[in-house]
Amino acid sequence: MRKIELNPATDLVLDRTVDVSPELVWKAWTVPKHLMPWFCPLPWKTIECEIDLRPGGKFYTVMQSPEGQKFPGTGCYLEVTPNERLIWTSALGPDYRPNEAVENHPTFTAILTLEKKGSGTRYLVQALHSSAAIREMHEKMGFEQGWGIALDQMVAYLKSI
Amino acid sequence: MILFLALGDITRMAVIRELCRGPRSVSELARPFEMALPSFIQHLSVLEDAKWIKTEKQGRVRTCTLNPDALALAGGWLDEQRSLWERRLDQLDDYLLKMKKTEKKEKKNAKD
Repeated sequence: MRKIELNPATDLVLDRTVDVSPELVWKAWTVPKHLMPWFCPLPWKTIECEIDLRPGGKFYTVMQSPEGQKFPGTGCYLEVTPNERLIWTSALGPDYRPNEAVENHPTFTAILTLEKKGSGTRYLVQALHSSAAIREMHEKMGFEQGWGIALDQMVAYLKSI
Repeated sequence: MILFLALGDITRMAVIRELCRGPRSVSELARPFEMALPSFIQHLSVLEDAKWIKTEKQGRVRTCTLNPDALALAGGWLDEQRSLWERRLDQLDDYLLKMKKTEKKEKKNAKD
């Protein structure tokens, strides 16, 4: 399997080992019933999930905030190698059709790699983000709603305590 | 995204600005807003869940302070993404161990 070059300024790697089989880890990522319980950090919830498990297939989730606001997201699978590697992106929708850009949501590609380790599994999650999107988001957050002012005040306050 | 989504509201933004000046009690924070107290407290709990603020109760007064970690997160969008993934994968690992137990039980029941 080819190694993917990462950029530390825009990309993340999470490396974990868990004492269950790769088949089970795969199931938790690819079966809606098993993905929904853990996919959203509490107190947020995943309230809907659709998975069409094939390259070009749809990965659809709806996250719900504690106040009941809903945030739907549609992605597309790029690689599906059972129990080994799953790649999807939020930049594309079903059948590789490009998604419309959503404000304040930089697109990403996520790569999940599974490796059998004794009785358990080592899994890697690599999340790749486009640098232009991150920069743009920082700027938006800086100028909208006086965010920049709040941040300056916060820095001053935190330095004073 | 949770950190920033929590901020997407005029009331919560104003609360953060006020707390930048120092700790405040819930009633001090609520005073400028024409809003029922339970609705205001709902906003505070969103900020608390998103780790923007901490609250502490002493006697009958609940005091809110900014969470210093929020600054680091707000400064680094990528760090926020990392923390989101960490929390998500913590939940995944817990869920996987539960799945393993359930499957074992099901296999055992099938045999019996």
